[in-house]
Amino acid sequence: MGVNLDNSNVATRENRIGSITGYIGSLKDLAEQSECGTLKGCSRCFSQSSTCLSSCALGQLCGIRDVALIHHGPAGCSVAAAGSYYMSKVMPKKRGVTSSTVYVGTDMNENDTIFGSTETLRSVILEVNKRYSPKAIFVSSSCATGIIGEDIDSIVDEVRDEVGVPIVAVHCEGFKSRIWATGFDISDHAVLQSIVQPPREGVKTNKINFKNFFESARPEIIEIFKRFDLEPVFLYCNSTVEELSHLSESLATTCICGTLGNYLGNTLEEKYGVPYVRSINQCGIKGFEAWLREIGKVTGRSEKVEEYIAEQRAIYMPQIEEIKKELTGLTAVIGMGPGYTFEVSRVLDELGIKVVWALAWHYDKKYENGDVPPSMKYLLENNIDFEASVADQQNYEVMNILHKYKPDMYLSRHPGSTVWAIKNGTPAVYVADEYMIFGYKNTLEFAKTVLDAIRNRSFEENLAARTKLPYTDWWYKQNVDAFLEEAK
Amino acid sequence: MAQIMENPRGGCVLAGINSVLGAIDRVCPIYHSGPGCCMQTTASDQGQSGHKSSCFVSSVSIPSSNMLEKEVVFGGVNKLRTTIEGALEIMDADAFFVLTGCTAGIIGDDVTSVTEEFQKQGHEVYPIETPGFVGDSILGYECIWSTFINKVIRTDVPKDDKLVNIFGIIPYHDPFWSGTLEEIDRILSSLGLKVNTFFTKHQSIEDIKNCSAAALNIIINPWIFDGPAKKFEEKFGTPSLRFPGLFTGATDTTEFVRAVAQALDLNSEKVEKVIAYEEDYVYGYLEQAIGALSWKRFAVIGDANAATAYTRYLANDYSFTPVLVIINEPVTKEQDRERITKRIRDLEFAKPPKVLFLTDQYDINEAIRNEEEEITLLIGSTNDREIALEQDIQFLGGTFPINDRLFFNRTYTGYRGSLTFTEDLYDNL
Repeated sequence: MGVNLDNSNVATRENRIGSITGYIGSLKDLAEQSECGTLKGCSRCFSQSSTCLSSCALGQLCGIRDVALIHHGPAGCSVAAAGSYYMSKVMPKKRGVTSSTVYVGTDMNENDTIFGSTETLRSVILEVNKRYSPKAIFVSSSCATGIIGEDIDSIVDEVRDEVGVPIVAVHCEGFKSRIWATGFDISDHAVLQSIVQPPREGVKTNKINFKNFFESARPEIIEIFKRFDLEPVFLYCNSTVEELSHLSESLATTCICGTLGNYLGNTLEEKYGVPYVRSINQCGIKGFEAWLREIGKVTGRSEKVEEYIAEQRAIYMPQIEEIKKELTGLTAVIGMGPGYTFEVSRVLDELGIKVVWALAWHYDKKYENGDVPPSMKYLLENNIDFEASVADQQNYEVMNILHKYKPDMYLSRHPGSTVWAIKNGTPAVYVADEYMIFGYKNTLEFAKTVLDAIRNRSFEENLAARTKLPYTDWWYKQNVDAFLEEAK
Repeated sequence: MAQIMENPRGGCVLAGINSVLGAIDRVCPIYHSGPGCCMQTTASDQGQSGHKSSCFVSSVSIPSSNMLEKEVVFGGVNKLRTTIEGALEIMDADAFFVLTGCTAGIIGDDVTSVTEEFQKQGHEVYPIETPGFVGDSILGYECIWSTFINKVIRTDVPKDDKLVNIFGIIPYHDPFWSGTLEEIDRILSSLGLKVNTFFTKHQSIEDIKNCSAAALNIIINPWIFDGPAKKFEEKFGTPSLRFPGLFTGATDTTEFVRAVAQALDLNSEKVEKVIAYEEDYVYGYLEQAIGALSWKRFAVIGDANAATAYTRYLANDYSFTPVLVIINEPVTKEQDRERITKRIRDLEFAKPPKVLFLTDQYDINEAIRNEEEEITLLIGSTNDREIALEQDIQFLGGTFPINDRLFFNRTYTGYRGSLTFTEDLYDNL
């Protein structure tokens, strides 16, 4: 893909890997069009709120322990500080470590937008360095600083020697991309640019890089990997700068979500030869097994992996088969990032649940290495098809679909989205934790959660009977694609 | 000027505007901004305010032009136009307000001309041209009221000498806003008044339009809303009464009731009857749990409104000793600082506490660490819990931002709110 780590800018997903946010049709059509390269995304003449890529970028970086984030922009943009506070206080505590990561805003105002404020930024950086003694400093831009052309790169270059720790500009202009996942790439780029070092000579390791969000399944995965003599290094939540500096020495990189991990994984492979595990993800049985086998293959541990799979199958498969009887025939609509939509639809298929419509918040035609995402390939090869659309969390389209299809459940990984489904009276499962469907045990738990959600619909039904949604009757009668238009 | 702000509280102008619009029934904001502004502004106030989001439209359901590079370069008015067209068809709302993000503000999109096209067709679409970077949520609150005063409120409404408007409590920026407004409404209604809280009781754009009928604007806040109040009086002739801070407990709430009664020249016999009833209600409970809480030396970290209420209640009504009060709002004018300080230090019983104005969490933590007098109780925001833990001080989350508690109609304001406040202090022992 040709990553340029000398430049602090990373191209958007739209420009780099042809990602789109507007499409309505079927899964098959979407996959075929992306394979033969004819897929063109649509735009919308009416849209509802999307999300800022800066939340994704800075949300990732603030999980790193003992660093400082400086958000150069108006105070409103620094709201991610609230999440960052949680990340640096609560998440380390859960694991029994500490972090003194700090997130500061520069509280840019009207004068600054006219006269600029790079000089103040310089003094803010130096003061932050003095106050908190961070192990690395990330200096982020915003829409406002981007448009008035604040030269953050130069300031960062100028203070680098003085601060004496890794420091890098992180370009987070929100208008840059309609795909918030571009923010994940931006955070990876910043880490690769400023912290990751080339492998040290002669260092042998059994480490495997594991890119995830909140490492909630950490103990479980450490246990599993012990059997294969592998040691996972979880990123970025609770990572240390020291750990990150050695990512290039690991045996392989894997991730819980293709959208989250593909930039880091591909770049480590391209620059340092660390193999990137490309398989369907760990959701469900088929996914989990395919992923384990791929890790076995890449790290030369296939035999041990097969032993583990056989043992776990014996424990869990009978239970899963049992619960599947109760799930078979139920219908679902799902709305998630593409790193999950096409994985979770596979799991639902495994559990006997029929997906009637799947929304992906964006769609990457091809991953960095030029391949169609593995999850899509799997669905195609197994002749699974359903109606599908790509929409950057466009709530009105979701509500139109739920209203028309009246599925037994709606599954989403975004809390703001499940809220509206519940108000509509649709039982909704908020697939919040990235490990909610991970492996045998969690797939079983997930199946039970789905059953709980659809068996007791008291809140959804009572609420829906007493609440009015903000949409007109006219809209519910329209086709979902009423506001889509050919991209100009 | 750009400065260091650890743990900024609240959002930009758009956050304050969005909070107000979200609290009015059947009103729909339309963002003319980048794709993330709506979520960011929703997260900054509603997301940190006791986990309550506005009910009619919020976060992902709010129309937004989602400006990208193309609009930055070529202008975004066309995208705005189609976004408004779509919103009018899809959203079942009574009025629409267009908010201007930093991007649209800096490139100078003419939002007003676009909204005028729709107004000519009879649609209620109003422009708000103040872009995000101009200020914070508090300014946003004033800004949306200026828009209402300039463009929405009617001039031809007959006066109603029993109607009052409540200002100074910013929905979502104050985590207790709905319970607080309900308590104020309850107290004033018992005096025979009709109360525009604007944000409870499903009050709608019609109540905003007709609020010029009010006999009195009551501003419950020591420092904000001077500008809009003045404009309101000039345009509609409604005078203002500023009560210099929220009130918790019998002493201050009674002072508030008497102030309103005097301003409106209400029958004093009736007023005193209400006061007697309410005070008896409060003390009837307080006397049943004497000694449940041991005496404390306390500090408060919060906005001027909440800090005033808690400090004065604990010092004047509950025999606790105030040590330190930190106002974490960006109060820059000297006269505002003086008014706030005076109200907090002008205590009937206790020795006045130290009052500091600090917005940066680092400075706030240092002030608590370096306080010479002992502190045994701290009332603050979720952000202040850490320093309380570190210093082994009893802590109650009672000021914005609060994201570790769930609030529906809880309030610490008024007669009844003081009982809840005291209960919560016990629960946190």
